Amino acid sequence: MSVTHDEVRRIARLAELDVGEEALPLLAEQMSRILEYVAQINAVPASEGVKPFVPGPDAVRFRPDDVRPAPLAFGPAELAPAFRDGFFLVPKLGQFEDAEA
Amino acid sequence: MIDPSEALASAKGAADRIVKVKRLNACLTPIKELRKSLVAQASAAHPSGVLYGMPVAVKDNICTLEFTTSCGSRILEGYRSPYDATAVAKLRAAGALIAGKTNCDEFGMGSSTEHSAYGRSLHPFDKTRVPGGSSGGSAVLVAAGALPAALGSETGGSVRQPASLCGVVGIKPTYGRVSRYGLVAFGSSLDQIGVLGRSVHDAARVLSVISGRDPKDSTCEERDSLRLPTVPESLQGFVIGVPKEYFPQDLDPAVRRACDRAIRLLRELGAAVREVSLPHTAYAVATYYIIAPAEASSNLARYDGARYGPRFDGSEDVRALYRTTRGEGFGPEVRRRVLVGTYVLSSGYYDAYYRKAQQMRALIAQDFRNAFDRGVDLLFTPTTPTPAFKAGEKLNDPVAMYLSDIFTVTANLAGLPAISVPIGRIRGLPIGGQLIGQAFLEDEMLEAAYALERAVPAGEEA
Repeated sequence: MSVTHDEVRRIARLAELDVGEEALPLLAEQMSRILEYVAQINAVPASEGVKPFVPGPDAVRFRPDDVRPAPLAFGPAELAPAFRDGFFLVPKLGQFEDAEA
Repeated sequence: MIDPSEALASAKGAADRIVKVKRLNACLTPIKELRKSLVAQASAAHPSGVLYGMPVAVKDNICTLEFTTSCGSRILEGYRSPYDATAVAKLRAAGALIAGKTNCDEFGMGSSTEHSAYGRSLHPFDKTRVPGGSSGGSAVLVAAGALPAALGSETGGSVRQPASLCGVVGIKPTYGRVSRYGLVAFGSSLDQIGVLGRSVHDAARVLSVISGRDPKDSTCEERDSLRLPTVPESLQGFVIGVPKEYFPQDLDPAVRRACDRAIRLLRELGAAVREVSLPHTAYAVATYYIIAPAEASSNLARYDGARYGPRFDGSEDVRALYRTTRGEGFGPEVRRRVLVGTYVLSSGYYDAYYRKAQQMRALIAQDFRNAFDRGVDLLFTPTTPTPAFKAGEKLNDPVAMYLSDIFTVTANLAGLPAISVPIGRIRGLPIGGQLIGQAFLEDEMLEAAYALERAVPAGEEA
């Protein structure tokens, strides 16, 4: 299993993560080693009938769907880097920016 | 029962002891803030609480209203949660004093506490070595005698592994025994809050308080709090399985000797000990390092510079803002795991990695059920393959670092309770033995742990 620099770039874009060109060789090498290690599970014969195991209660409990005040000591305005009139402030989404993704 | 003046003395004593071990870099809360808070908490705590006056530190990835919750990360530097985690609220209600936040690997990802943005914690007996991780700061404070107990969290062994390396007790409860509300998510199907304590009794008392139902966490079971067992006279009637896969040919001979001595003592206490097999153990670390990064890549998507913590700015649009903030805010191990997690979930690779890992997880859980169905009550294994390793030794070799979790990840994958108890020293460094129990039978596991703790000469060379 060998991960190329282009694959690291593609995965980093999917993960919304800036990865500098200088970091690519080490990341590609380490990801290759990790993926090679974890691929050993493919040595176990496919067991299609096996139901995935999920711990915890068999059925997820839901709360009543009603509007209640959030019991927070302070609101998002104090958590976020920029917040105004109930909105998180961010720069504009670049037009046509998704063409690369 | 203690009175208010003793609670105040306990608060001041805890602050003094934490100052004394400051050089170990285990506590992230500034000491002035901590001292003031402990005194205020001692004055306000209710004397009828079962933990009245007991100082308990909290890992930095568990939300507290009072101190910052940075998860050992730059991306949450200075972040204050607007609520207490349920486990913390329960501690406060029981009269415990929250003794600051402890250093950890960033977002719980690591086995050495070297992956903290706030510097590594030092091993309390040898500063050139690591205390384990990711709950390393909690283990260090307890091992150094600063506190009787501290909260940690587990995704693949992050309580038991540092407990073993530092010579303290570490409990990981059954998945669903303790609410995850307010535990910052890493791998949601694996994460549990656990406890590190200087003794089984101290750790179990804290676990009992934080356990039980919570309407705020739908994965927390509808059960009462854990009832503490009494210390047994003997282990007559217990059947303890020793899985042969946990004692490979190349296991450190000193770890094997320590385990052999513990097994002999369990027999002398009256337990029947028999060899068992958990055939899929060899695939546990690989399975874990697919599932945990996959869940992490999804859980950590929320840190984008818009909603929490600092923003690494200068970006011309929102996508660049996300990428810059995440690229600069996450450390190297978190970046690696987010990338690996995104890779195994991406189109074309999902079936080969993630779906296959889910199936392996089911087979690993089935191995445990088979052993328990054949009359075994508990399993005994080493907690870690070696004692504490040198700082920097595994930092550039992620797979070698991952393999230090080889004996702990299985309990997380199967959702089972497990405890690490000190069983001896190797060249002066502590080593732990692990008991793995059946789901929600922590009481049985604790009984055996009490007995083992009393019998084993934990301070002696193995």
